[in-house]
Formats: sequence, structure tokens, C-alpha cells
Amino acid sequence: MFYLIGLGLGDAKDITVKGLEIVKKCDKVLLESYTSILTVGHTVLEEFYGRPIVLADRELCESFIDEFLQEARFSDIALLVVGDPLGATTHSDMLLRAKQLEVKTEIIHNTSIMNAVSCCGLQLYNFGETVSIPFWTETWKPDSFFDKILGNFSRNLHTLCLLDIKVKEPTEESLTKKVRQYMPPKFMSVKEAASQLLGIIKNRQDSDLTEDSLAVGLSRVGAQDQKISAISLKEMSNCDLGPPLHSLVIPARNLHPLEVDYLNQYI
Amino acid sequence: MVNFTVDEIRGMMDKKRNIRNMSVIAHVDHGKSTLTDSLVSKAGIIAGARAGETRFTDTRKDEQDRCITIKSTAISMFFELEEKDLVFITNPDQREKNEKGFLINLIDSPGHVDFSSEVTAALRVTDGALVVVDCVSGVCVQTETVLRQAIAERIKPILFMNKMDRALLELQLEAEELYQTFQRIVENVNVIIATYNDDGGPMGEVRVDPSKGSVGFGSGLHGWAFTLKQFSEMYADKFKIDLVKLMNRLWGENFFNPTTKKWAKQKDNENKRSFCMYVLDPIYKVFSAIMNFRKEEIDSLLVKIGVTIKHEDADKDGKALLKVVMRSWLPAGEALLQMIAIHLPSPVVAQKYRMEMLYEGPHDDEAAIGIKSCDPEAPLMMYVSKMVPTSDKGRFYAFGRVFSGKVITGQKARIMGPNFQPGKKEDLYEKTIQRTILMMGRYVEAIEDVPSGNICGLVGVDQFLVKTGTITTFKNAHNMKVMKFSVSPVVRVAVEPKNPADLPKLVEGLKRLAKSDPMVQCINEESGEHIVAGAGELHLEICLKDLEEDHACIPIKKSDPVVSYRETVGEESNQMCLSKSPNKHNRLFMKACPMPDGLPEDIDDGKVNPRDDFKTRARYLTEKYEYDVTEARKIWCFGPEGTGPNILVDCTKGVQYLNEIKDSVVAGFQWAAKEGVMAEENLRGVRFNIYDVTLHTDAIHRGGGQIIPTTRRCLYACLLTASPRLMEPVYLCEIQCPEVAVGGIYGVLNRRRGHVFEESQVAGTPMFVVKAYLPVNESFGFTADLRSNTGGQAFPQCVFDHWQVLPGDPCEAGSKPFVVVQETRKRKGLKEGLPDLAQYLDKL
Repeated sequence: MFYLIGLGLGDAKDITVKGLEIVKKCDKVLLESYTSILTVGHTVLEEFYGRPIVLADRELCESFIDEFLQEARFSDIALLVVGDPLGATTHSDMLLRAKQLEVKTEIIHNTSIMNAVSCCGLQLYNFGETVSIPFWTETWKPDSFFDKILGNFSRNLHTLCLLDIKVKEPTEESLTKKVRQYMPPKFMSVKEAASQLLGIIKNRQDSDLTEDSLAVGLSRVGAQDQKISAISLKEMSNCDLGPPLHSLVIPARNLHPLEVDYLNQYI
Repeated sequence: MVNFTVDEIRGMMDKKRNIRNMSVIAHVDHGKSTLTDSLVSKAGIIAGARAGETRFTDTRKDEQDRCITIKSTAISMFFELEEKDLVFITNPDQREKNEKGFLINLIDSPGHVDFSSEVTAALRVTDGALVVVDCVSGVCVQTETVLRQAIAERIKPILFMNKMDRALLELQLEAEELYQTFQRIVENVNVIIATYNDDGGPMGEVRVDPSKGSVGFGSGLHGWAFTLKQFSEMYADKFKIDLVKLMNRLWGENFFNPTTKKWAKQKDNENKRSFCMYVLDPIYKVFSAIMNFRKEEIDSLLVKIGVTIKHEDADKDGKALLKVVMRSWLPAGEALLQMIAIHLPSPVVAQKYRMEMLYEGPHDDEAAIGIKSCDPEAPLMMYVSKMVPTSDKGRFYAFGRVFSGKVITGQKARIMGPNFQPGKKEDLYEKTIQRTILMMGRYVEAIEDVPSGNICGLVGVDQFLVKTGTITTFKNAHNMKVMKFSVSPVVRVAVEPKNPADLPKLVEGLKRLAKSDPMVQCINEESGEHIVAGAGELHLEICLKDLEEDHACIPIKKSDPVVSYRETVGEESNQMCLSKSPNKHNRLFMKACPMPDGLPEDIDDGKVNPRDDFKTRARYLTEKYEYDVTEARKIWCFGPEGTGPNILVDCTKGVQYLNEIKDSVVAGFQWAAKEGVMAEENLRGVRFNIYDVTLHTDAIHRGGGQIIPTTRRCLYACLLTASPRLMEPVYLCEIQCPEVAVGGIYGVLNRRRGHVFEESQVAGTPMFVVKAYLPVNESFGFTADLRSNTGGQAFPQCVFDHWQVLPGDPCEAGSKPFVVVQETRKRKGLKEGLPDLAQYLDKL
């Protein structure tokens, strides 16, 4: 059996009881470590579960997962995913492959930033398409996500922006070499995300969003020291919300009075 | 020699209309360096204390030992034209008013094909070329190569027929025969010029013409030379005829009847060709009198030609006397320097039409205008064409030409390498020019500054440039165009230190070697192998010797030479190739197909290149190769290195976000084009079409990490499904030999898969010329083999000519290409066997 188990957002204890039981009985437990991170390190998890776990980086999950799936035909293997296991789009492929290899699968859901974002007071019903904001490089500055934000905005919907994280990503140069070199891990902050957005706004004369538009920054949602801040994009580009992970929300133009009242706490 | 102080030379540099920058080019052994010597002894500029030392342009010991030029060397000369000769210069941009002196910067270049990259570097910094042809051997393969290069760089040629002494003494040619020989060479040269130059083009007519004085005749070895101008001067007064008119009469179909004193256009029994009568006859008379020791005749002749024998030469006779007489009668320096000053363009004239060939940026920016007008007050634009080793080991002078502005000691300048792109920081350094120097043969002199139109060296720039680059003070300047070499580094050896502890020295030595030669490539393979790649066996031999003795200074082990191959495809991919990204959310659909014949060569020659306007390029591709015009407009890139003979074409329709992955796809394409699927050799002549792309909606999931490796896998699948083939480099081989040796040549060529496509006798000589195609792979030891099979009578010149498909399927065990692929893979440390399509091709 191959289990995909969500770990929730906060710390080791956010795992569900069902999930914990499975982790304890599994033959092998992997921790997916490239789409998100917990506020605590994996050693804390090992202590809490009382068992060793294997770190699974992008290459393992994307290119070498088949080996583990083969094993799962005769033993129980769990892959732990921060948040909800299917929150990150890429894991659906894993389930398809498992099906091909005739491996049975089970999903243990948990909370994800996709719903926990409501902690800022914006109603989940009013969220539009979610986007990710990637780190820009010298030569690669995609801005298609901005059109989606504008699309949501024009339909009076909020946009949840997930911010890029790079854990063990190969460097651009080493991609065309045989020996991979990896970049140091980095996590985008609301500050960087807001600056990139301002960069796009500057290049587009008549966009509905301006540097004075409201933005909501969230950090370490679900953890004890979570922070929320509702300020203008311009202010956000100078705002430090502390250690990762961060998320950004661009609220709709017209807010429900309750939403306004709730947000007012964070101004 | 002229004694000039640096200040005097500096003074001359400002008179830009009186400067001539020129190179001497020719086939190997046609006598360039010997001829250059006679110029240097007449006009070379040597600073005070150094006058009197013998100075050869062949500065290296191995050059003197082998009697062959390896590196090009620059020297400066000063020459004054007389008032009567100045009238021949009609263009006001060809001389400053009231200035009779000319500063001639001459670069002597190697003639052996293996060193033709040195010629290319020399041509770039000069405006004119003295083409030397051995009148016995005629126009040879390397004459054509260098002349073609010269024309392509918009360098104006003048011609010199060398080794007349051999024609007279050894071959004993009759006057009429000799005239015919000259006539044929002039024609051959003009045919080559006409092929590569358009008379209506910006350079105008560049044909050489003896009657205009742009063709010289003589013997560099004996130190005498003349043009028709010299002879016309002797006769003009006597005949009371205008000098220019007479020059026209002395060449071509002009015959004179001495009894009736009538000129005619046709030969008849009474008259004689004017060139033979007035030019050759006197020379023949002098030759025959002296060589046959007819004392009285000699004396009367000497009076006639106005030569008096100096006391110390009085007891000479035979050849020695001949030399003295000819040299004082027709001094080579005088005739040649006149030709140079009158017929070669000044920088002011040349830069006007060369700018568009030299500058990559817009043709109306400050730099372009500065170059065009050769303006010393404009921003600095200098091109560094090569690096010259200094006495300080490991350091180099950057040698080049100032095209605009002034380069000044202590000036802050932008140093831009060939990979620099305007607006970006890559390959760009802003540094101070430590020192500006004059380079004269092996001597250097510090100089405060050097204005536009001159050639000089820079100290301290070598650390920022690999081989060549642009130096400028203009912030928005683009690069000067990189040089195009006529040869490619197709022969390579692997090197390693005999003592493994010396590896760091070897690595450092390789870096220095790469700097010191315009062409050699030093490659560090990922397998850890160090490769040195050169144009031919001789070139490599010299490079390795330099590496061992000068650059690394350690004993070195070298592998047997191997050639580099190219990978290509034989037909279109037999299926649509799909590859998925690692996260499976992005899918690429592509196919490969061979380019039509001729297109890879057009790309090599720059007729189709990435910098062209895409519409112009598309029109060309549509008209010549019947490409679909909409597709031809969407060529994403060329590769490898952004310029190679493979293209990636966007044939998709309406794919969202496609432009956000374009850079990653291009990077993957460059990678695959550089390291093909069969043996990681460069690709050649492959066109890849992207037909469809499915992408994840979120930019994060389609970054380089996802797309670059996927593109490569997809391209590999395309190659494997399109009948992959190997191509090998082929030499054009020209062999000169007497008739008896021809049979031996055929034997050697047949054993080496060569085939002869032309065999002809050099008119007026007993020599034969055999032209053949010879695979480079079969050429190792060819020269020695040929000598031993022809009793040492045959001399080959091999120059890279083209790529040719190696017959056979590399995927079929036992075929020739299969063996090559396996050997190459083994050498590169790759998994042996054939690449597996399933690794690259994904299922839908």
C-alpha cells in the first residue's frame, strides 16, 4: 500500500490521528521536502513518530519514485506531504503511476494553505484562481500570473499567491551539464513578491492594480507565531514578516463589511 | 633604415591620410618573408640604439629553423614619395596636404594553411594586402584562400610576381612565354577577385592591373622589383609621351614596330610585344651578359641603365654580380613602397566602407560614425585581434587596431569579449589601460596614446580577454564583429602531464596556449580529459611544442590525433516525438529533419545568420530553400553557440505561455546541438520543429529545471527517429609534383579513401598539380607517406574543405560509423553501446 499523508501546516503535532497510526506501522516513510516545509525540522518529526524518515527531494519524487512504488506492492510505504497531499499539483502524477504499477493507494487529507488562508478574514467563497509567483532571474521574468490576478480582481475575487520556494534546485548553468550543482535553499518573502508585482505594475500603464492596492501578507500560517499584515502593496514591499513560509493575498476590490472588519485587526 | 624617435613616429600617427596598414599574404613558400626583408632594410623604422641589428619578421627560433612563418609579425616603416610620384595619388583622403612621408604598418603573415587563422587576424587590422605569387608555381590553393578572405574583409589587394630570377635562370623562359605566364597569373587573381567582390560594391573596382602599376614584378631573394611605372619613367622622356599613357602601352596587346615606329594592336612579323621589348628585353640582356661573363657587354649595359658598380663589388661576377646590378638598377624597396603608398587605401578611405563589415551595432550610432570617419576625437573603438606573448611568462600584449578615438595609457575603458551583449554585464570589464605600446617586430616601445587608424599593443588587457575583443569608451557600444576563420579546428589530441602532480601547470599552460594562438581550442572535457584542437597536424605540432616548452614547461604525454565528427540526420523523424517534464505536467512535441543541401554552408558563411532581420532571412530561406515563409520567420535560434548550422523552428499554433519557456527550450537546444545523441559531437544540418507544447498553468512548474532537460530528451528522441548519421571533415588537398611522381600520388590517395578531382600541368613548367579530397581522419602521416612514395618530390597542402556524411548507419553494429561512435564514446567516458530511444521518448 502506498499512502499519501498530509501533515498540516504548523508543527509535528498537526498530523491527523489516522495519519499518525499509519506512519507508525509503515515499513518506510518518506518526507516530501520541495513543495513546502514545516516550521520544525525533520528530526523533530522523527522524534515525535519514534522512527526514521527519508527525505525525498524533487529528483526523488519526480524521477525515482517508481522504485519506491515497486516496493509498495509488497510493503507499506508512506509519503508525508506538508499541508494537504494533493495541494501541490505534482503529486497527482504519482498516484497515476501507482495505478499503472497496480499499487493500492490511500490519501489522508489535512489542512492546507488553500483553506487556512481564511484566517486573515477573507471568505474562502470569494477566492478566484490561485497563482504562484516564481523567483525571477536575469533572463527569465514570466508575468503571466499577473494576468490571472487581474482576472480575479476584475471579477471581484481574491487571489491567493503562493510564493516560490527553492530547496535543492539545480543552478541554471548546471542544468546543461552532467554534474548537477544546487542553489542554496531560498524562500520568497512577501516583501520580494510585492516588489516583483510592483515591477510588473510599473511596466503596465493602465492596470487596475496600483502600488496603493491592498495586499494581505501571511507568514507561518498555522504555527504559534503566525503573522498577518494588511497594507498597501507599496508598504508590503518594505515589510518584514519574519522567517518563511510566506503567502500573499490580493483581495478583491469590494470587500464584504465583515471581511473589512476582520482585516482591520491587521492594519 | 630610418632612425625615428617615438615622438616622431607619434607625429606620423596623427597624419591618418598618410598611413597604410597592410598585410603580406601568399601561399606557403612563395617568398613573403624574404620580400618583406627587402622592404624592411629600405624603410624599417628602428629607434636609435637598435639600428643596425638584423631584424627578421620570423622572430621565433623554430621559424628560422624550419624556414616557415608561424606567427604574423608587425613592423612599421617610413617612406617618402617624391613630388613627381605624389601626383599619382588623386584621392584627397589618400594623403595629407604638404606631407610626403608615409607611415606603413606591415604585417607579415604565415603562408601554410595550418596557420591561416594568423592571416585572418592580420587582415582584420589592415586595409590593404600585398599578394605575393611565385610566378613559377602560379596561383595556388592558399593564394586563393587568403585572397578570398581579404576580399571578404574588404581588404584591397595589390599583386607581386615573385621569383622572376627562377623563371629566367632555371626555367629559361622566353620573353613571350614569361609574358603569358604573368598574364595568366594576373587573370587568375582577377577571376578570384571578381568571384568574391562586386565591382558595384562599396569597395569599387579592386582588380589588379599592371598598366595601372598595381602589379609588381621581381625577385625578393635578389632584392629587385619593378612596376610598369618604373620602366615608363625611363622611356617617357625619350618617347616624349605621357607617363600614364605609356604605362597603358606597355601591357597587353600592344605591339611596336621598331622600323616603322608604329604601334599596333595585332602581332605581325615585323613588330614585337611592347612589354617584351621594353621591359623584359633589357632585363634579359643584363641577365645573359652577366651570367655568360661577357665583360664588355656588361660595361656598356651598365652605362645604359645608369648603374655604377661600387668599389667593393668590383671583383664579383656571375650570380653575385647579377644581384648587385639588379638591386641597384631596380631596387625592390622603392618599387614596392611606391605601390603600397599609391595603391593601398589609407584608414580614412578604407574605414568608410569597412565600418558596416566591422561593427555589429546600429550603423548610425557614435561608434559607427567614429569608425566611418576615422575620427580621433570620437569615442574609442579598438579591436584586439590577437595576443602576443611578452617576455614575462604568462602575460600577453593585446594587439589590435584603433578604428575610432584614441587609446591612451591610463585611460579607463570597457573591455568587451565576444560574448558581450549590449545592456548586459557578461564578458564585460571596465578597467584601466595600463600601458599603450608600439610593436615593432620583437621590440616594443611605450607610447602615450595612439589615435584612430593605427595598430598598437596594450598591456594589462590580456587577463580580461581570451583571444579577441573590443575596447571602447562608449557606453552603448556594441561589439566589433568577431573574425571568421577559413579553417576549423578539426584535429584534436588529448594531453596529460607525464608527472600527474604537474596537472595544475598543464591547466595553466593550456590557458596561455589558448590565448597565444587565434585558432587553437583548449577544451576541458567533463571526463577530465584535456583536449587541444587545431587546424592540422603541423599546427598542432607547433601548439604542443609551445605548450611543452613555453606555456606549461613540463613534459607532456599526448594521444594520437583524432578528428572531430558531426552528427546529423538522414530523413525526417518517423514519428512525432513526445517528452514529458520530470513533473509530467509539461509536454513537448517535436520532429527533426535534415536541412536542404547548401543551407548549413550558408549558415557557416554567415549568409543566413541569427542577427539578420527575420523577415529578410525568411525571404531568403523561402526563395532558395523553399521553406514555408511563416515557419521561416519563426526560427527561434541557431546552435550550437547560438550561431551553428542547426535551427529550432517554432511550428506551433496559438500555444499559451510559449514565450515564457522559450529561453529554456533554447538552452536545451544549445545543449543538444553541442552534444549530440550518438557520441556527444556537435550537430550539423539538422532542423528541429516544435509542433505542440502542453504546459502547466503555473509558471513555477515550468521553469528551466523542468523544461531544459526535457527539451534535450525530446531533441534526442527526434534525432534517434530520423536516421542519425555521422559526418567527417574532408580536406581539399593540392599536391605539386613532377609528372613522374603523379602515379605514386594516386596510390597513396587510394589507400586513404581520397579521390582526385583535378589534375593539370602548370602552364610553362614541367610541374603537375593534383587536387583531391582527402578525409581528415586519413591525413595523419599523409605528408610523410607521400614523400616516401614519390621520392620526396610531391608536396601536399591540405586545407579543410567540407563535411561529408560517413556512409553507413551508426546504429548498425560493425559499420564504419558505428565503430567511430563507439570509439568516441569510449574516449569520452560515456556508456558504450547505442543510446536507448526509450530513455528519451515518452508515451502519451
